[in-house]
Amino acid sequence: MSTPLVVFDKVQKHFGDFVAVKELDFDIQRGEFLAIMGPSGCGKTTTLRMLAGLEAPTLGEIRLDGKVMNDVPPHARDTPLVWQSLALFPFLSARENVEFGLKMRGIAPAERKERALKWLEKMGILEFADRDISTLSGGQKQRVALARSLVMEPQILLLDEPLSALDAHLVIRMQAVLTDLQRELGITFVYVTHSQSEAFAMADRVVIMGDGKIAQIGTPKDIYREPANQFVAEFVGRNNILSGTVTSLSADTAKIVTTSGEFTVPITTVALREGQNASFVISADLVHIATQKPTRGNAVQCRLISEEFVGSMVTLFLEDAQGHEFKVQMQERELSKFDIKGGTKIWLSWETQTAHILNES
Amino acid sequence: MNSGRLLNIILGIYVALIFCFVFAPIIFSMIFSFNSQRFPTIPLGDFTTEWYEKIFADPDIWEAALNSLIVSSSAAVIATFLGFCTAYSDYRYTFRFKGPYLALILLPPTIPLIIMALAMLAWFSKIGISGQIYSIVIAHSVLTAPFAMAVIRLRLNQMDPDLEAAAWNLGGSEWATMRHVIIPFCKPAIASALFLTAAVSFDEFAVSWFVSGLNKTLPVVILEIVQGNIDPQVNAIGTFVFLISMTLVVLAQIFFASRQLKSIRS
Amino acid sequence: MTTTPRKRIGLYELTWRLPIIVWQCVFFAGPVLFMVAMSFFLVRNYRMTEAFDFANWERMLTRGFFWDSYLYTVMIAAVSTVCAMCIAFPAAYALALRASETTRRWAIFLLIIPFFTSYLVRTFSWFVILSESGVINALLANIGLGPFTMLNTSFGTLVGYMTLTLPLVVILQTVTMANIDRTLIEAARNLGCKPMATIWQVIIPLSKTGLIIAAIFCFILSFGDFVAPFYLGGSQEPTLPILILDTTKSGQQWPRAAVVAIMMMLTLFAIAFAGIALAYRKRKGAK
Repeated sequence: MSTPLVVFDKVQKHFGDFVAVKELDFDIQRGEFLAIMGPSGCGKTTTLRMLAGLEAPTLGEIRLDGKVMNDVPPHARDTPLVWQSLALFPFLSARENVEFGLKMRGIAPAERKERALKWLEKMGILEFADRDISTLSGGQKQRVALARSLVMEPQILLLDEPLSALDAHLVIRMQAVLTDLQRELGITFVYVTHSQSEAFAMADRVVIMGDGKIAQIGTPKDIYREPANQFVAEFVGRNNILSGTVTSLSADTAKIVTTSGEFTVPITTVALREGQNASFVISADLVHIATQKPTRGNAVQCRLISEEFVGSMVTLFLEDAQGHEFKVQMQERELSKFDIKGGTKIWLSWETQTAHILNES
Repeated sequence: MNSGRLLNIILGIYVALIFCFVFAPIIFSMIFSFNSQRFPTIPLGDFTTEWYEKIFADPDIWEAALNSLIVSSSAAVIATFLGFCTAYSDYRYTFRFKGPYLALILLPPTIPLIIMALAMLAWFSKIGISGQIYSIVIAHSVLTAPFAMAVIRLRLNQMDPDLEAAAWNLGGSEWATMRHVIIPFCKPAIASALFLTAAVSFDEFAVSWFVSGLNKTLPVVILEIVQGNIDPQVNAIGTFVFLISMTLVVLAQIFFASRQLKSIRS
Repeated sequence: MTTTPRKRIGLYELTWRLPIIVWQCVFFAGPVLFMVAMSFFLVRNYRMTEAFDFANWERMLTRGFFWDSYLYTVMIAAVSTVCAMCIAFPAAYALALRASETTRRWAIFLLIIPFFTSYLVRTFSWFVILSESGVINALLANIGLGPFTMLNTSFGTLVGYMTLTLPLVVILQTVTMANIDRTLIEAARNLGCKPMATIWQVIIPLSKTGLIIAAIFCFILSFGDFVAPFYLGGSQEPTLPILILDTTKSGQQWPRAAVVAIMMMLTLFAIAFAGIALAYRKRKGAK
């Protein structure tokens, strides 16, 4: 197990009385694509800026390659950042922009030019090398910004919501560019975003932040299927959350009574006691629908409220007798096998193993 | 013709009248500078260039013109430097007493020049720097720095807030960033500030009159001529200086506008 | 933009912050503060000696000629401000709200040109134009009118003040009114407000701050100018700037001139203060 590239050790950041980052304790591995995700104001951009040296941690240490970086100024770190606004220099051509970091390092003009042109070609924009950047499109500027950071051949690349200003179709294309690039170069990418689809599409691991703290770290699949707590569960994906009281425990399952009925849930790492309040989550795409009451245990009868179509996927919004909302996600062609209209009574059910207990914290 | 159009025509004539009032003294001065009458009136006298010949032959006027050039260019450089420092400090940093700090540079234009003239004469005399060319340079730098600061500050507002940090991030120290990013970005504004402060300094007469002693600038010479008799030489000087100023302004506009067009899209 | 990688003030930050502090303290604050102190100095045998004496204050403030001059200066500057603001307004309205963007830009560019000419030469030009046998009287004589005495009167002074202030006032008013929200005017019209009424009810209130600032600048300029009242007004009624001029240049009585200057500054501060309070006054009950 190789040593992590970056370590955040009990890092906190205060702006006067306001605590933007409450406590960060996590590692970033070499060569991984890490996404830091969360709603606005959760502290993700502050975290990235601390790594780049643009903000100094109020408490704690940030270590890069074992070395403590707290007092290292931003220009002495090797942590190039791709900015949300791109921050390209308007008075320089594309090539001169890409050369900038090399120029700061004192590299000779001939070598600078050669390396810059090589990277511009790699990003597919060689023909724009001597153009004024104001004449480039959003996507082309994006590539210049990437080339400008990568030409430095850094160990780690930071990205601050770089795709947020692009049109939707460009976003998909750039996501592919970024993932291919990361895999090819093998360097560490730290990618900050508020978009779950971006983070889950590209990252090896995702850090979900809320209110200045880390809510969960894990692979996209783990987070999606096993959200650690209610915040993550609500933030990520379409799923159903039910809360109730634990009535009985066995070796590997627990029974929880909720307003929608009694359900059996597998026990994982979360410790439970009888009489305790607990919440659990079932992903919307793991819920089955039926017109007759099913035989498996976890079932609830609902009324269909509305449907939402996105391409070939459809999300059904339903309500049980107590008014609790449920969501079911399925392929449209599966749905068409049933004859369902608004107001129809439908039975929802799921296998015991697919439910997941949430941490109360 | 509906009332809207009628109103527009009336307003148009009104605006034209205003322009006539504003430009009348300028145009007449130019006309009179080529007019043979000592006391110009209608009907005009003969066309002549004698007033121009007179001023070009006068060594005092040449010396005053040279003094004006030296003073305005020196004052422009100092004022632009001071304006840049203040604009950058205001842009980048928040600190206590920022209010008084900004007031210190922005107050001079609010104080009447005659008062500044008196105050500077007295103080400069006390600390022994009155009566020299550099006295006027110093006084003008104080008076024109606010304009330089305003021009450069406006330009800094147009800068991407992340641009400076981007340069640091790519390995530029604060000094290198200033040299390779901030100053290149502000070039058009710095050029404008230089021209603007030079122009203001060149025409300034009140403070120059009080502070310059025997080292007169051109406006002081004009003032002294005007205090004496009606002398059309004044028109010749005025017209000549005006044409030079306008040429500089047009050149500055072309220079600035072409830069502006390039950077305005980014 | 306040990214601060370092906590203490470094050399870099000081390099940019210090120059103006030092320069302005020595060469701006110094003169102004010295002038205030100087008002308490005494002049004996044509030499100024440092002292702390109220003699100059007593002398100036008890003399009738000072207060006559003071009131005249305030009055004529106020009249000048009202005239300039009123004369400029229709032109600024036209340029801001009726002219095209290009016309407006060209107009403002043309209005900046006077700033590059010598104010003295322009005043001198008016002197010639307005005199008894000057251009205007000669033209009027052709249709049997005049001659009118325009120089050595308050009218002459006002013409001079207009020459000084009108371009600036037109520019400031135009820029202010060009920046107001047009949709509010349309909304007012939509609710039945007639064009003339929209000026009073909508445009002026929206431009209040900019208009007051224009007025303050106009007053400061008129109040402090000595050229117009001296050359075109004939110093029949000396204004305060002329008083300063006389006291300094001919009398060498700098301390007395300082008293006049301080009175002028206090007046201007009061006016600016009142103006700004008026400009930024909120409705009753607003935060």
